[in-house]
Amino acid sequence: MSDNRPLRWFLYGYLALVFTFIFAPILFSVIFSFNSDRFPTIPLGSFTLKWYQTVWNDPDVWEAARTSLTVSLSTATIATLLGFATAYTDYRYSFRLKPVYLGLVLLPPTIPLIIMALAMLAWFAKLGISGQVMSIIIAHSVLTAPFAMAIIRLRLSQMDPSLESAAWNLGASQWSALRRVIVPFCLPAIISSFCLTAAVSFDEFAISWFVSGLNKTIPVIILEIVTGNIDPQVNAIGSFVFLVSMTLVIIAQVVLMTRRKKEV
Amino acid sequence: MSEATSTTAASSAARQSSVFKLTFRLPIIIWQSLFFIGPLCFMVAMSFFIVRNYRMQEDFVMKNWLKMLGRDYFWDSYVLTWGLAGIGTVVTMLVAFPAAYTLAFKASEAVRRWAIFMLIIPFFTSYLVRIFSWYVILAESGVINAGLSYLGLGPFVMLNTKFGTVVGYMTLTLPLVIILQTFALANIDRSLVEAAFNLGCRPFRTIYRVILPMARTGLIIAAVFCFILSFGDFVSPYYLGGSKPPTLPILIVDTVKSGQQWPRAAVVAVVMMVTLFVVAFAGIMAAYRRRVG
Amino acid sequence: MVAPLVEFRSVVKRFDDFVAVERVNFTIEAGEFVAIMGPSGCGKTTTLRMLAGLEAPSEGEVLMEGRVMNDVPAHERDTPLVWQSLALFPFLNARENVEFGLQMRGVAAAERRRRALEWLDRMEIAEFAERDIASLSGGQKQRVALARSLVIEPRILLLDEPLSALDANLVIRMQSVLTKLQRELGITFVYVTHSQSEAFAMADRVVIMSRGHIAQIGSPKDIYRAPANRFVAEFVGRNNIITGTVGKATAKTVTIDGSLGSFTVDLGQHEKPRQGDTARFVVAADLAQISTAKPRRGNAIACSLISEEFIGSVVTLFLEAEDGSELKVQLQERELSKMDLKQAATIYLSWAADQAHYIGAD
Ligand SMILES: Nc1ncnc2c1ncn2[C@@H]1O[C@H](COP(=O)(O)OP(=O)(O)O)[C@@H](O)[C@H]1O
Ligand SMILES: [Mg+2]
Repeated sequence: MSDNRPLRWFLYGYLALVFTFIFAPILFSVIFSFNSDRFPTIPLGSFTLKWYQTVWNDPDVWEAARTSLTVSLSTATIATLLGFATAYTDYRYSFRLKPVYLGLVLLPPTIPLIIMALAMLAWFAKLGISGQVMSIIIAHSVLTAPFAMAIIRLRLSQMDPSLESAAWNLGASQWSALRRVIVPFCLPAIISSFCLTAAVSFDEFAISWFVSGLNKTIPVIILEIVTGNIDPQVNAIGSFVFLVSMTLVIIAQVVLMTRRKKEV
Repeated sequence: MSEATSTTAASSAARQSSVFKLTFRLPIIIWQSLFFIGPLCFMVAMSFFIVRNYRMQEDFVMKNWLKMLGRDYFWDSYVLTWGLAGIGTVVTMLVAFPAAYTLAFKASEAVRRWAIFMLIIPFFTSYLVRIFSWYVILAESGVINAGLSYLGLGPFVMLNTKFGTVVGYMTLTLPLVIILQTFALANIDRSLVEAAFNLGCRPFRTIYRVILPMARTGLIIAAVFCFILSFGDFVSPYYLGGSKPPTLPILIVDTVKSGQQWPRAAVVAVVMMVTLFVVAFAGIMAAYRRRVG
Repeated sequence: MVAPLVEFRSVVKRFDDFVAVERVNFTIEAGEFVAIMGPSGCGKTTTLRMLAGLEAPSEGEVLMEGRVMNDVPAHERDTPLVWQSLALFPFLNARENVEFGLQMRGVAAAERRRRALEWLDRMEIAEFAERDIASLSGGQKQRVALARSLVIEPRILLLDEPLSALDANLVIRMQSVLTKLQRELGITFVYVTHSQSEAFAMADRVVIMSRGHIAQIGSPKDIYRAPANRFVAEFVGRNNIITGTVGKATAKTVTIDGSLGSFTVDLGQHEKPRQGDTARFVVAADLAQISTAKPRRGNAIACSLISEEFIGSVVTLFLEAEDGSELKVQLQERELSKMDLKQAATIYLSWAADQAHYIGAD
């Protein structure tokens, strides 16, 4: 297009502004977690670690961190398994009710979380499994499996379609071909879907809040603190949460982008 | 003899192969029916249950529906939720467009890849903490007002306003909308855009007459996603919008958290689902409608 | 009698309504180098995949050494395939790729490694054993793929257009590697290709397929000198196909009358056709002769020269007959230099009676 320098600078400036808007809350949350003032504003007060100390010494936070970790690791495992099975079925087979089958797995994220939360709460109560860590894990797996499915399916579509047949041809049964060829080929996608589903689960608060009962996760603790008053503890916990989920997301993306060099 | 062995071999091979196949199908179908379709169906059923002596009993009565749909505050909430999500969607789409335009048409491939890499990150980081951060930033004595006071301006009231809610919505939706818009625009055949410029079409006219129609499908899908996310969000209107009057999601939270009136919350949820279904359907129809002329 | 290594009995393969392979019958003996040749989409790969058990026949039977294989799953057959895409496992290195089949057969790690390295050495790529597949050249990948298939010591090797991705020089080199390998190992090669030169250069026997059918099976020479039908004659190329109606016919010869004249042709093995039927015969371009004077005896067609094409010392002349049909002659350049075609208004294309090959009506 025409070489219009002022326009170009204007657009890049605008882009920078939009990115500032998107990352400002993350940035300020981290800055204020080290700020001594009770009500965070500028000019900043002095540097302090007291909010981190408060959080560190809070047994409830530790308990919640444990719960969160359990939930997100279990969720990531189940969701990745579900996602892999669906992706593989979609890749390999065609059958009449496939759209229904795929819809069953892919639709949950299109339903608002608050609705899923209510539905899960009522359904788990009906089944008699409400208020347990397991209920959160189940709900999160349903919610995050589509992400895993999408990532792994994309990877499978990059595979030479003869690769699996080649394994059979060399004497691998369906199961060994799956283990020796499909899984190793999809490994980057499996790792990154594990990280992403763990990240989503780690941050999810609506469903957790509804179905968790007494087993609070970190986001539920945050929600409760925030509902009470302004407490810079939230910034400390929040920075920790950001750190965890950003690490997971970045690992996920890097693993997907760099081709795996060698299989041991 | 060899006939017989070959048939048993055949049937055992066939059986193994269908065991293999079903291992990937049945567990998924059972799991998702039990924990995705099950809850949603039960919720619809629950909207017809009745609460007696603070206990929910399975029943089939229209009472909850009549009660909820007969109340003005429900309809006020409904209109408010529509309005907020609608404004949020329009604002987000407009704010995102120049950014997506820059990424799609002006930026190099490497910059675009990096930008998208960055835009994915917030999508997977705690929305709740980001909203709380906005709360602090937008407060009357918060960062923005403190900054403005140096210039002798303000303070402006930004919390507990529709502005606050929309900022919250954008926190949730802006990265996703930029990504979707960028993909929609990047798929356009550039030579057509250049042709329009060469024919003397002025930039805004080119955007309006050439780019928008060609990217229509992707743009509508971005808008539909944006609307669905905003419509279902309870955090922004609650913490940044002041929750009074409540939006539909806040209504659900309040109804559930303040007692046993789950069936009424279910009514709200079903109304929301139907609304979103209609919006999504209309959006898809509009997105894939054949262009006339 | 010993059963043939491979036998296809009335094999049909349908994909939904589409018939990819239609009633195919053939046998392959142990130690043969057989090429399956035909235009793209004619069912070559499907035939090969049925042999490997990767596709189940819709009808008919595939036998190996007399045993019906239809229900034997792919992984229980020893029918390794060299894939068109090579299908090397990208997450394994060269040696690990070669070890794959042995690992599936439960061979212990040390033994596996030894045999894999032995084969890589034999394929002259031992130094690349620990290299990533992605870092190998086309020819090296080809050799890894061959080693991977041969290390399990099969009695038959299937190859599906394995050289189609290589450049021309490499193709010639790999052809000689393959023929040498086949001779040394003494195992059966079934080689699918759409390239006539590959098939004719390497195979003992060629199966020509057309739209799911077998058009002809025979040695390269049979197919070249005695095409069974018009499809083969055209597919093999450089043939003049002359059409007419049957005039006088005896048990041994037939007269065919057409727009180019009336010609007498040996019937060969064919039955005596009925008078008035359509019939065709073929005169191979390299068996035809030309002259500037009308030959006194034998069959001749008057033509004019259209163009010449030189490939090495061989010249192909493209001629036009009086009725507009195009004919070809191939001859050595030095023969051509003896003649002064440019001056001649008419060139006569002629052939000895026993060099025309009758192909009947189809
Ligand atoms: N899995 C399949 N499903 C449907 N059609 C197929 C399938 N495999 C092959 N075909 C069709 O069968 C025909 C023969 O294919 P193939 O054997 O691959 O031909 P080629 O001779 O080129 O190797 C082609 O027309 C192809 O489209
Ligand atoms: Mg093929």
